[in-house]
Amino acid sequence: MRLPAGVRDWLPHELARKREIEQQMRAVFGRWAYEELQTPIVERFDVLERGLGEEASELLFQFNDRRSTALALRPEMTTPVARLVSTRMREAPLPLRLAYIAPVFRYYEQPQEGRMRELTQAGVELIGAAGIDADAETLFMAIEGLDEIGLRDARFDINDARVVDGILDGVGLDGDAARDAKELIKVRNLVGLRKFDRPALVEFAQRRGRHDAIERARGICRTPESREALDELDAMLERADALGYRERVTVDFALLRDLEYYTGFLFEGYVEEIGFSLCGGGRYDSLLPKFGFDVPAVGWTAGVERLLIALERRGKHVRRRRHRIDVLVAGSDVVAARERAAGNVVRYAGSDLGDEALLEEARAYGIPRVVIALDGTVRELRVGRRMDELPVPRTPSNWDAR
Amino acid sequence: MSKPPEAPRDGLTIAMPKGALYRDAAARLRAAGIDVPDDVGRKLTVTTADGTTLLFLRPTDVPAYVEFGSADCGIVGKDVLWETDRNVAELADLGFGYCRLVVAARRIDRYHEGAPFPTFLRVATKFTRSAESFFAERDLPVELIPLHGSVELSPLVGLADLIVDLVATGSTLREHDLVIVEEIAESTARFVVNPVRFRAKYDALIALLDRLTAVPA
Repeated sequence: MRLPAGVRDWLPHELARKREIEQQMRAVFGRWAYEELQTPIVERFDVLERGLGEEASELLFQFNDRRSTALALRPEMTTPVARLVSTRMREAPLPLRLAYIAPVFRYYEQPQEGRMRELTQAGVELIGAAGIDADAETLFMAIEGLDEIGLRDARFDINDARVVDGILDGVGLDGDAARDAKELIKVRNLVGLRKFDRPALVEFAQRRGRHDAIERARGICRTPESREALDELDAMLERADALGYRERVTVDFALLRDLEYYTGFLFEGYVEEIGFSLCGGGRYDSLLPKFGFDVPAVGWTAGVERLLIALERRGKHVRRRRHRIDVLVAGSDVVAARERAAGNVVRYAGSDLGDEALLEEARAYGIPRVVIALDGTVRELRVGRRMDELPVPRTPSNWDAR
Repeated sequence: MSKPPEAPRDGLTIAMPKGALYRDAAARLRAAGIDVPDDVGRKLTVTTADGTTLLFLRPTDVPAYVEFGSADCGIVGKDVLWETDRNVAELADLGFGYCRLVVAARRIDRYHEGAPFPTFLRVATKFTRSAESFFAERDLPVELIPLHGSVELSPLVGLADLIVDLVATGSTLREHDLVIVEEIAESTARFVVNPVRFRAKYDALIALLDRLTAVPA
């Protein structure tokens, strides 16, 4: 009766915490005028490969249907959303602001905490909008999202893929050498980068900063794309400062995200206690063109389980609200239906229980009223709020506290 | 969900490899101003006067502690990084702990002089990941036999045709009349950090990196 590796169950009290975070994220998405959508968990393999590239498709859970069509579970939501938008929403007025909170699947060889094979992503895509305003919208929404769930000290590092290319060009690397160097930058392997004998390369992969770091990069970046990107990072810092985020946003020129499709602005959010990033995103202008729809796009996503780990690790549990029940009803479907119609949460009790047993049950679940409809009469008992005198009941919400 | 012990907020937590690398690693950290004990005995952790926490680990466990952020950074051989394939940032080659990962065989088999391999090779090793990718790149089908110690015995008693093992001086090979067939890679000790902690504790980690690399190797 075992579960497969890398997936987990959610007991009611655990799911309640997860849902709370999801609701908070959903509220942020709504405030920024994003609409939630849903796509199938299963996609055709070729669609996912088209979006993710060959390398990332190694992470897929793959299988065939009975006609041998190659299928896979989606490992992230950006590619399915790109497929959907480029097929079904081409005529919609741009820009589109789309959000999702959805399970995704990755075939990690060694699944572990923070790297499960099934995870929940909460994120958004802003499609059909180029430029720094759209980039800034995603970054600031992500900061508000982490604020909303109580991670107000989360910090964010930003970069731009065009600057990385500009630095590689500036130190005279191109072709395979530039590609190899980029892989090393992504994992911040300074030992590997030193072998290129370009001290500036190591320097940029190592030194984070703010306007000072951008100024240094101006000394080496010559391509117009990278110089424009540096101006935008400068402006992004200023916009962040104006919102009071000065201490929370830093430039890191070695920040490159795993997926291949990023083309411009990039960011990741993190807190000190957790060794994984909590959220991240960026611009992926080349993704929708791969689906035949030539529009720019930018987006970000957060790992809901990682947010939960972050909150739990700092003892900041999401409010452990007991499931609220308004009334315990014994003996009458009609009375129970009336209570429900009035908007109350109703728990059915056995009609063979005496008053004392009913009161005990009500107290155990924190139910304020008991309605007993027996022998043609309806009686209501008030339950005294004497929870502190009672032994702690074994309800799902405190199983893990045993 | 069990709660891992929280790393202290001020000082760094450093994962230290017990065993062959320990003395050099400790000496290098001492030169960088961290009060590391000579001998760890049976202790699992020590917090120094300046608030640095040291975790004393099996070398192969160092990358996992760093990847998860249970340690901010650590010192570990490159050979262990190949085998564990953990997501850690490799910031510096510390130079000590030099050894080579090699393919070796009995001298009398003459593989080192170009004698053809049997069509299906049996390879004994503690380094299964590295061995697997080495032979896969050469399109050589092999049966890997994972062992945990005294790998040099296996060709002598007919368990394996070849071994893949670490060689520091080569004396162990010579003792058993084994020879190097091919060198796979060279390994030295590396300073590794957790990728997110690198940002979160940037100033402290950069200062440590600078002090570690300022010392002549």
